[in-house]
Amino acid sequence: MAPSTTVSQRKKIKRKAPRGFLKRVFKRQKPHLRLETSGDLLVHLNCLLFVQRLAEESRMSAFENKCGVIKKEHVQAAAKVKSDLLYLSKN
Amino acid sequence: MAEAMADSYSQDSEPTTRTLLRRVLDTADTRTPQRRRSAGIGAQKSLLETPSSRRLSSSTKTNARRRSQRARSIGRLAHVQTSGHLEEQTPRTLLKNILLTAPESSIMMPESVVKPVPTPQVVQSSRQESIRGSLELQLPELEPPTTLALGLLAPGRRKRKLRLSVFQQGIDQGLPLSQEPCGNTSASSLTSSLNLTFATPLQPQSVHRPGLARRPPTRRAVDVGAFLQDLQDTSLALASPGNSLRTPVATLPTDTVLEDTQPFSQPLVGHSPSVYHSLPCLSYTEAKDAEKAVSHRTQRSGPKLQNHSPVKPAQLLAGKSKKVDALAMSFPNTSSAIAGEDEVEPLQGGVGENAEERMEESLSVSEVKDTTGTQGSVRTDKSDRNETSEAVEAKEPEGSSGDENISGRTASPELASSTTEFLQARQLQFLESAPPPSTAILSSEPLEPLPTRLPPRARTLGPRPRQDPHKTGLNHYVKLFSFYAKMPMEKKALEMVEKCLDKYFQHLCDDLEVFAAHAGRKTVRPEDLELLMRRQGLVNDQVSLHVLVERHLPLEYRQLLIPCAFSGNTVFPAQ
Repeated sequence: MAPSTTVSQRKKIKRKAPRGFLKRVFKRQKPHLRLETSGDLLVHLNCLLFVQRLAEESRMSAFENKCGVIKKEHVQAAAKVKSDLLYLSKN
Repeated sequence: MAEAMADSYSQDSEPTTRTLLRRVLDTADTRTPQRRRSAGIGAQKSLLETPSSRRLSSSTKTNARRRSQRARSIGRLAHVQTSGHLEEQTPRTLLKNILLTAPESSIMMPESVVKPVPTPQVVQSSRQESIRGSLELQLPELEPPTTLALGLLAPGRRKRKLRLSVFQQGIDQGLPLSQEPCGNTSASSLTSSLNLTFATPLQPQSVHRPGLARRPPTRRAVDVGAFLQDLQDTSLALASPGNSLRTPVATLPTDTVLEDTQPFSQPLVGHSPSVYHSLPCLSYTEAKDAEKAVSHRTQRSGPKLQNHSPVKPAQLLAGKSKKVDALAMSFPNTSSAIAGEDEVEPLQGGVGENAEERMEESLSVSEVKDTTGTQGSVRTDKSDRNETSEAVEAKEPEGSSGDENISGRTASPELASSTTEFLQARQLQFLESAPPPSTAILSSEPLEPLPTRLPPRARTLGPRPRQDPHKTGLNHYVKLFSFYAKMPMEKKALEMVEKCLDKYFQHLCDDLEVFAAHAGRKTVRPEDLELLMRRQGLVNDQVSLHVLVERHLPLEYRQLLIPCAFSGNTVFPAQ
């Protein structure tokens, strides 16, 4: 299993997908398109993986800076490094 | 033979009931082929090791004798036997249990009894012998062991106090039988000795019970109010420096109680009776306050009913003197918190309270709310006090507080209603309680920082967060980000994550649109999503989409996404 599912959680992380939110976002972006029901969940899955990768990158960049706290710069650097993969252009 | 045996028994080891029982049990175990052989008491230990303890041959009296000798050592073994024979519930097993359970100490007791036992044992043994035949079916082994046991009750171990009851029952049943063979006297002696032994083990059992009993928790009547307040405080916890001020106030009551040793305690004492009057009002107001989470005063008054009110004014004054400066900072918080105050109460009181509270308590969260509540109450009190001409000093801060109060009032109109009631109660209190022991209060402050949390001030709900749905949705993923990061993050970093997410969503939608259009559709379907993930590198030949779904999504979503065969030759979701 992926580590995320087995990591002990002190904070309560809701595993629910904000389906309404995703639908709304998609509708705002592409009103002329429709999103299927299952597609909603897959979008959520995609978001999860994206966030996971971004977090991992941020952590690595923070480690490189020997910082115990993730800072804005770390996140930006992570986004730049993986801009292609993460659909991010430089912020 | 029996007599000889009895004599031998008496000689061998302590003629305790235990030994006797042991013997009985041992002999009872004659079923086991092995026979115990004990050279003597010294051999008992060795006997213990030998499982042959079980091997009593009821037939041979010598064996019985040895058994008796080994009774003690065998006691443990007998214990084993007893366990094995428990199911049978034979008198022998019962006796064994007795031996096991009977405490060692009890052995000593029956010594005096045992001595006469051996003599009757002789008789009993004879009886046993005679009865053996009759009881053979039931207690074939028991008879010889009883005779042996009569002679020697191995002190054995006194374990198993648990079986006493059973044993007793068994004894009752078995002894009558055994008594015949063993002789009434011996049996009676046995039982008596046994009973004696039982007494001791029973006690510990009963002693243990209290431990299991649940004692009703002792409650202090005062705690309820404080508890309610605490509940409210926690719910409405506001982090503000002012709260710290409030908390000290809560400790006021304790301080007041402790003030007896303080120089100013006297005036408090004088006020205490008046305080009591106000107490009922306070209690009422407290309830309300608790409900409204307004007054930390209630907290103060609640837990510290007695001198709470008097203390407050005193403390307020004291706090004022000391911490006017300090309070200045907290005042804005408190004043804003109060907000609901009706009049320009002497903020001083509130300030003083705050100061006191701060000094006394170290609450942080609910303090703001508390301060607001207290301020409101303080004001009323202050007003009263001023009337009583004690608030000379208070007037000064009043002016300042008045301004602040005004600002504060607007903040929390809710508090007003609650505070009014509270104020009324306070008025009574404050009228009576002069702010005398200000210094005393100060000194008492450090005494006990009451953990009572001031009722958290009612949160002023601002406008519904703009972008509420969008932000909350994004926040969901931001939280996931912070969770995956496993490291503390700055707020700015989280904002950056939000931006990234926004961009990500935009790109996502664009790509999906392209894919759907490429497929000639206007509806984005899961295939498009899969293609997207494949392009991203998440899905490849080694890792399929289903694998990812199984990994990261909860079961309910998995069921919706991955077609699964169900009964009736159906597949869900339908493909």
